[in-house]
Amino acid sequence: MDNSRSNIPSISPAAVVVTAVFLLVSIIGVNWFTTFVPLVLPPQASAESKSVDELFYILMIIGGVVFFLIQGMLLISVLFFRARDGDLGDGPTYHGNPLLEIVWTIIPALVIVFLAVVSYNIWTQNSEPKAAVNMIDGEETKIKVTGARYAWTHTYETNRLDADGDPIVINSGDKLHTYIGQNVDLELRTQDVIHSYWVPAMRVKQDLLPGNPDFGGRPTDIRFTPIRVEGAAYPAEYPIVCAELCGDGHGRMRGTVVVHEDESQFLAQFFEPAIYAILNPPADPVLRGEIVIQEYICNSCHTLDSLEWSSRTGPSLNGIAERAGERVAGQSAEEYIAISVWNAPAFVVPGYTEQMAVFGPDQTDANHMTAEELYSIVAFLCTQGEQSDCDLENLTEAIPQAIKTAFGLEVDISFGQDDAEASQPEAAADGSDESEADSESD
Amino acid sequence: MATIAVPLGAQEQGQAAEAVQRPALSEYLRWSVDHKIIGVQYGVASFLFFLIGGAMAMGIRLELWTPDLDLMVSGAAYNSLFTFHGTIMIFLFIIPMWAAVGNFVVPLQLGAKDMAFPWLNAFAFWLIPPAAVVVLLGYFVSPAEAGWTSYPPLSTLFSGDGQTLWALGAHLLGISSIMGSINFIVTILNMRPPQMTLWRMPLLCWAVLATSIIAVMATPFLAGALTLLLLDRVAGTTFFDAAGGGDVLLWQNIFWFYSHPAVYIMVLPGMGVLSEVLSVHSRKPVFGYRMVGLSSMGIAFVGFTVWAHHMFTSLQPELRIPFMITTMIIAVPTGIKMFSWLGTIWGGKIHFTSAMLFGLGFMSMFVIGGITGVMLAALPFDIHVHDTYFVVSHFHFVLFGGSVFAIYAALYHWFPKVTGRMMNERLGRIHFAFTYFGFLFTFFPMHIVGMLGMPRRVAVYVPEFQPWNQLISFSAFVLGFSTFIVIYNVIKSYYHGPIAGANPWRALTLEWATTSPPPVTNFVDDPIPFEDPYGYGTEAAAAYVEAVEAAFSPGGSAARTER
Amino acid sequence: MTSYVERRVKPKLSLDRDAELRLKNNRLGMNIFQASWIMVFFAMIVVNWQLRYSYAQWPPAGVTPFDPLLPSIATLALLLSSVLVRRGRQSLQADEVSGFLACWRLAMALGVAFMAIIIYEFATVSQAALATQYGATMRLMTGFHFVHALAILAVMLWVYRAGLNDMRSGRPYNSWAVEGTAKLWYFVSFAWILFYLVLYWIR
Ligand code: HEA
Ligand code: HEA
Ligand code: CUA
Ligand SMILES: [Cu+2]
Repeated sequence: MDNSRSNIPSISPAAVVVTAVFLLVSIIGVNWFTTFVPLVLPPQASAESKSVDELFYILMIIGGVVFFLIQGMLLISVLFFRARDGDLGDGPTYHGNPLLEIVWTIIPALVIVFLAVVSYNIWTQNSEPKAAVNMIDGEETKIKVTGARYAWTHTYETNRLDADGDPIVINSGDKLHTYIGQNVDLELRTQDVIHSYWVPAMRVKQDLLPGNPDFGGRPTDIRFTPIRVEGAAYPAEYPIVCAELCGDGHGRMRGTVVVHEDESQFLAQFFEPAIYAILNPPADPVLRGEIVIQEYICNSCHTLDSLEWSSRTGPSLNGIAERAGERVAGQSAEEYIAISVWNAPAFVVPGYTEQMAVFGPDQTDANHMTAEELYSIVAFLCTQGEQSDCDLENLTEAIPQAIKTAFGLEVDISFGQDDAEASQPEAAADGSDESEADSESD
Repeated sequence: MATIAVPLGAQEQGQAAEAVQRPALSEYLRWSVDHKIIGVQYGVASFLFFLIGGAMAMGIRLELWTPDLDLMVSGAAYNSLFTFHGTIMIFLFIIPMWAAVGNFVVPLQLGAKDMAFPWLNAFAFWLIPPAAVVVLLGYFVSPAEAGWTSYPPLSTLFSGDGQTLWALGAHLLGISSIMGSINFIVTILNMRPPQMTLWRMPLLCWAVLATSIIAVMATPFLAGALTLLLLDRVAGTTFFDAAGGGDVLLWQNIFWFYSHPAVYIMVLPGMGVLSEVLSVHSRKPVFGYRMVGLSSMGIAFVGFTVWAHHMFTSLQPELRIPFMITTMIIAVPTGIKMFSWLGTIWGGKIHFTSAMLFGLGFMSMFVIGGITGVMLAALPFDIHVHDTYFVVSHFHFVLFGGSVFAIYAALYHWFPKVTGRMMNERLGRIHFAFTYFGFLFTFFPMHIVGMLGMPRRVAVYVPEFQPWNQLISFSAFVLGFSTFIVIYNVIKSYYHGPIAGANPWRALTLEWATTSPPPVTNFVDDPIPFEDPYGYGTEAAAAYVEAVEAAFSPGGSAARTER
Repeated sequence: MTSYVERRVKPKLSLDRDAELRLKNNRLGMNIFQASWIMVFFAMIVVNWQLRYSYAQWPPAGVTPFDPLLPSIATLALLLSSVLVRRGRQSLQADEVSGFLACWRLAMALGVAFMAIIIYEFATVSQAALATQYGATMRLMTGFHFVHALAILAVMLWVYRAGLNDMRSGRPYNSWAVEGTAKLWYFVSFAWILFYLVLYWIR
């Protein structure tokens, strides 16, 4: 038996040299590695992304060294310490080396301490509340995000007032408009399950947690500050992704962050036009309905070719007006559509399940929708189809009538118009809508 | 010659051992309280589940070949696919598979006749088939589709009855796991031969001990969580329903209090296997035996304090930092293991058997998973990659690159003991090559798509990621194919493999000091362990191996005859 | 080469040794089981605590706190029952089977009294409390505990009947069955005290 190697007292000098060489190789290798960093990350579109990427860079260096060290030592062992053919002898009886063991306990421990400190600093720096957030036109604004299966809704509670002196609320659907340098602070709420608001380009992510609706849910928030990305054309668009499994359409639950070049562009391209549209809605209920329906999350489940919706969770809305009249005996098409929106569980289309979110007149309904909005949406849907079952000539009377039959609510068909006396803005400040609904219902 | 403890039982004075017959295959289909039978039952059953779970993974990869939903009828069908893939792989494959290895090897390594509670052992195994039936039945009635983590309210208010069956099945599996673990702890603590102190115990036993301690302390939390989930689903309570004053984070806390320690349940026995395999096949003692043993305990202990690193995007922000720190600490005891293994093979005489290849493969792949684990622990970075393919990549590197590689190493290492025949080494090497490279190219690119913005658990994705996903899917098919090689090898070797003899690897632990397969009582009389389970290179060790050979393999061991 | 026989530790009579080992295993196994299973009860306490902190006050506004009087009586009964179980075991060790049976009988009666009170408490939780997690967690915890108490009581009954038979037949009594059952009953008492404190005293 070959015993020549047994009882070697300490680690051999050769091993030390080889280790040193490998450390060197790994440092070079790591450097080469890290040149790929920008390739494997989305654009750095927020102030936060810079520091997170810095952390990633550090992690790559540390990880790279550990990687090359372990793989290198393995490779050396594999190459140099194979048993020769037919050699049935044993290696040296070497049980360990306390010094070495201490070293390889202490060094990783120190690395960990370093990493923890770096991460802690970056974390506190990124999560520190900003003095002025969501500045629009010189004033702080509230921007809220609602997640519902399977769509995002962004609303801006602006400081502009409508004709009645109520603050105007802009609903920009699945788009978040912001501008370079704006400190964004979004309040997130979910209507159903947990979702997670992720903007890869901003390196931010936060879950939306269900909370007791009686107490206003359980808002969470997310903060970031868009910065300029070299070579990007503005307004630049970055995806919003839902990162928490929320069901069937989880993969489709996406949105867009639109970053405008500066505040004036933001005002000119998004804010002012949106305010204008709210103050001057088209008089035609069908046109108005086309706008209103896009502020709700209907697109997350339904297909409607005219608006380029293509989700299949719920029944298709293509040609809905052709079918609506025949679905329930004795019910007009207008009534059927109205009930399907406000009281979805009333009819479930064969082949689908009762999944639709709640849309209704009460402030507590997950998706608050006034009778006036319902009216315009029904008007719009009545035009979807070759041969509509609706009374197209007479929508302004037929639909309010249908809503009255179905829900006992009067509809003010002139809503939003400057000349209308008793008009209400389409989404008024807390409380006032409820009283409206109460007083109008009989 | 030095004094040598030779573990001869009735074969004292070197009488030739009688060849022990393999149990008839039908014995494996019956209730049996023999730990060797139960070990094989566990092993074969969990491998079948691996095939089912793996076939589902192939389905996942097929669906992800294109950015659109085309293979599946709906997003929900895809969701239930990965839900069942994850559930099967974790609860029905990895955890029972380690019970298989533990069951077969631990009593033998301890020189015991059987486990401490043979009946309970059998009962724990026989809970698994009904539990599996319950879980899998769920696939056919409005299947569970909330992921293996089953977060409410998706899993309570928005899922069908399959979710209830899922919870029931997982409940049974948890109970099985607790009973198995109690058995392991008692066996290891009480049934060692008098000469075998804790510090002379083989490292696999240390690892199984640590694993079992985790299992008995953590699994009850799973039972608690599942009880609440079931009550919410069937009894109208609202523990997780915010509208009724409940709290969705309650589930996350309790679930992860179990499921993070559970990931060490899934990898620690593999680390024990590695200590055995690396030492035997490189003919050197385990470097720093005590620290390797203790680090198992260290990992087990620290593992209980890190659970909320899975909740970095849902937990209150001020609570996140402490969990980041505890999580990172785990790198230290794991590092001790990695470096000690390197010290073990360094300067040895490495035999590139299939078992050794998979052992080395474990080290090479697990370290990547470990590094990405530490990256994930770094809170600001995790915020970006949480719930993306980066995480999917991380846990496949530790679960497949770690646990599954170790399972293959264990298979090649102990197959001769189980069946009395050697596996085909050539096929083993081919299997290794396909698995190693298939694995690497399946899961490494996932890091990149994850960082670039692909969330996990989606059936549809943006077309930019298609080339990456095609590379991943292609490699996954190669990986899937590699499984057929090992299946063929096992079947072929079972019937035609060369006779192994008692101790084909010339190892020093006790399981090799008896015939292959061992007789019903394992040893004919109380065996005496060699003074140091890893004392390779000494004369005493050589003489011990010689004596075992003479006593149990009169025809010579396979190791001798093959080379 | 020294002979194997010389070096081996002389085993005691193998039958004896097996029985001893089995008892040792049973005891350790029972201890580990108890350490393990108490974690489920801890899990329920965690549930209670996490939910109570999602309310502004506890018990929630408009809910009257539970009256600790009856549960305290039940707790006393359970504790007394545990003491009796212990005395029963001691009697058995002194070979007084009739004393064992007497203690055991009384212990079971107290156990039943405990369970009766708990059922009453469980059934009379006010609607106001039930509408909140205050009532829900109370039902969860007492209900969960009750299931355990019931199961162990059944085992006690079974041991008692076996004891009766043995007294008639004069066969030696299997002391592990008694010891194990007793330990399970202590466990039930211990778990209850945890719950009792959390439910009725820690505000
Ligand atoms: C066998 C299973 C296993 C193992 C062993 C691990 C090991 C580790 N895991 Fe992993 N993990 C999972 C299985 C596992 N994990 C699973 C299944 C999930 C996802 C669950 C789900 O959501 O579905 C997950 C998710 C997960 C997350 C959450 C990610 C997210 O959802 O956002 C995190 C975050 O901290 C994490 C961290 C770690 C760490 C730090 C380790 C450490 O233990 C790793 C330690 C090892 C090393 C570090 C390598 C060796 C060390 C050295 C060579 C020393 C030197 C090294 C350094 C100084 C860095 N894991
Ligand atoms: C031990 C655990 C384990 C193992 C071994 C694997 C193995 C594999 N896993 Fe899995 N995986 C998980 C645990 C595991 N996984 C978990 C916990 C999740 C999370 C689930 C969740 O999000 O809830 C997950 C999720 C997951 C995803 C993410 C899904 C998503 O988020 O959308 C993907 C995607 O590629 C994937 C792929 C694979 C692949 C390609 C393999 C391959 O390694 C598999 C290779 C295949 C085989 C080895 C089998 C070969 C068999 C055949 C080819 C068919 C033969 C069939 C018969 C004879 C019947 N896994
Ligand atoms: Cu919303 Cu996923
Ligand atoms: Cu974890």
